[in-house]
Amino acid sequence: MTTTSTSPHDSRLALLLVTPALVVIAGIALVPIAATVWEALHQHDLRLPWLGRPFIGAGNFIEALGDARFREAVAHTVAFSAISVPLELSLGLALAVLMHTVRRGRGLVRVAALLPWAIPTVVAALVWRLMFENVATAMRVDWFSDPLTAWIPIVVADVWKTTPFVAVLLLAGLQTIDPEVYDSARLDGASPMRQFLTITIPLLAPSLVVAAAFRTLDALRIFDVPYVMTAGGPGTATEPLSMYAFAALMERLRFGYGSALSITLFALTFVVALASVRALSRATPVEPS
Amino acid sequence: MPRLVGLVWLSCAVVAACGSTASERPRLTFSGSAVGAEGTLLRTQLARFSQRHPGIDVDIRITPDAADQRHQLYVQWLNARMVTPDVLQLDIVWTAEFAAAGWVQPLKEESVDANDFFPAAIAADRWRGVLYAVPWFVDVGLLYRRVDLFDRPPASLEALHGDALAAVQRGQAANGLVWQGARYEGLITVFLEYLTACGGRILDERGEVAVDSAAAVRALTLMRDGIGTFVPRSVVTSQEEQVRFSFQNGQSAFMRNWPYAWTLLQDERQSSVAGRVGVSFMPAASGGRPAAALGGGQLAINKFSRHPALALSLVEFLTDRDQMLERARVASQLPSRRSLYDGDELARAMSLPIGDLRAAIESAVARPVTPVYSEVSQLLQVHLHRALTRQEEPREALTEAAREMRALFARTGLSGQDAP
Repeated sequence: MTTTSTSPHDSRLALLLVTPALVVIAGIALVPIAATVWEALHQHDLRLPWLGRPFIGAGNFIEALGDARFREAVAHTVAFSAISVPLELSLGLALAVLMHTVRRGRGLVRVAALLPWAIPTVVAALVWRLMFENVATAMRVDWFSDPLTAWIPIVVADVWKTTPFVAVLLLAGLQTIDPEVYDSARLDGASPMRQFLTITIPLLAPSLVVAAAFRTLDALRIFDVPYVMTAGGPGTATEPLSMYAFAALMERLRFGYGSALSITLFALTFVVALASVRALSRATPVEPS
Repeated sequence: MPRLVGLVWLSCAVVAACGSTASERPRLTFSGSAVGAEGTLLRTQLARFSQRHPGIDVDIRITPDAADQRHQLYVQWLNARMVTPDVLQLDIVWTAEFAAAGWVQPLKEESVDANDFFPAAIAADRWRGVLYAVPWFVDVGLLYRRVDLFDRPPASLEALHGDALAAVQRGQAANGLVWQGARYEGLITVFLEYLTACGGRILDERGEVAVDSAAAVRALTLMRDGIGTFVPRSVVTSQEEQVRFSFQNGQSAFMRNWPYAWTLLQDERQSSVAGRVGVSFMPAASGGRPAAALGGGQLAINKFSRHPALALSLVEFLTDRDQMLERARVASQLPSRRSLYDGDELARAMSLPIGDLRAAIESAVARPVTPVYSEVSQLLQVHLHRALTRQEEPREALTEAAREMRALFARTGLSGQDAP
């Protein structure tokens, strides 16, 4: 009992000890977010100093709602995530199972599978762009001049680049499954497909949720691949929200409006993060006591 | 502990001492393009300036060569009222923005001999009738052609398109005509040439938005309809270098590009069309006039500079005839002073066809002079690109661009008479 009760002195000391950490967290996470929110409530155009920096409340957010380019950017971001993340999860799962089952040349297979993950995204995107441009000349298809086909190289490059990450996460999950479970399933005459569906998938659920959460959060913030491959074009047909916020902030130097766009993106990812924390707690089986 | 305090005091004293010696001897800071041959030339000329003004050194503040990034840095510095750099290299489309924001000093026309500059270049450096920058060098849009296929430049825009189509149909070149069609500033300059050739303007003489005129729709339709016939589809992702490669490999009969390409096209080690290249500029369609888009570098003085008089003498020095001639010879940058084109000095200094270039610069048309140019450009780029990739019809694209421009002028408190 004595170990759980704390004297006022102890709790003060504890507070003193955690204060530096709290200050650092506040300084690098909360303060910038609060500053961006505050900035988003102002009209602030760096190039038009004669307008001053008046407080306009939700004005920037209202402008965003009426801005077709913003609405399209949100739609692009959500659609890109909805298409690329399931592709990455299914290919990543296949790759993880392959890496898990292969016996000979295991190291080689793993290195080969991980290689795309090790290449800087900008380099990978540039290489994929050049490949698609060359395919264009050979096939007489110009991927980047059509608003729909321009998405294909972006999705292909992103899936190629991030599938290994999913695979490694899932491989770790696979290795925690007790092989004896499969042995008894085989004794009971369960087919490999049945084993996969009733043993692997349920026991892998926590890892799948973690992988899905990481990938969705990353996909919602997608910037580098379209920036390098299409610059958001043709027109603004492949412009995700992060690129539009960047254009408003750094190219047009509209700090107020750009901050409002960034806050919208932050809100979007925050909701997904919360949802995935919930999903994770549901997917994690209760530890046997 | 006393030793530590002593050390702190000592270092404060040292810092203070350094500070005071620095302020006794004025130093100027210059910011602009300083890489490669341009950088070597700049250092030579700044050293020469120091010789003529003993005791004054000029530092170079390196800034990114990409226009957007340099612009972003300048805006951040000047918003913070930084006293350096004293002299700034501005792109031709930034002067109005910096002038309206009160970031650059007004200049006296006579002190820089303003009458000597090409009219379009000096006009772009005025804001509400006051001069704020001095043209340092000019850049101009040119129409390159294969002289082995077409010995004379096309007489009209219709003739240019006819020739380009004929070259493809006769199998003389895979592409008739290539230009910069990616969504970036270069697309605006190409559109400006088509627009002027058709008799249209982005902003009219009163500064009102005019980019939704019938002439503008015709210009954009002409650009779009060429794509897929004699203009390759890949043009919508092309910037300067992609079209230069296409032309120098002999794949294109005509190319719209800047003067820098000339020297490279004449280099037999990399160009298969060396000696078979001629230049003119965008010819007029019916109802318009021939036009070459104007670009170039300007020099302006930071409003918060501590040494405005010295900064002015540096600007005067860098834009004098001798330094410009040297810049033409060493860095192939075209002088902005008209009088330099009169004698044969310039022709000896550069391998470029000076007579053709002079004709192009005399016909040059500047982009709109407005403090919100970069935003005007961005929203126009989006709609032009949508029209070229057939996401919007030209009329629809330009109507929408004009609507957004009008909303922009209303939001920023700029009215029509603010433009020249």
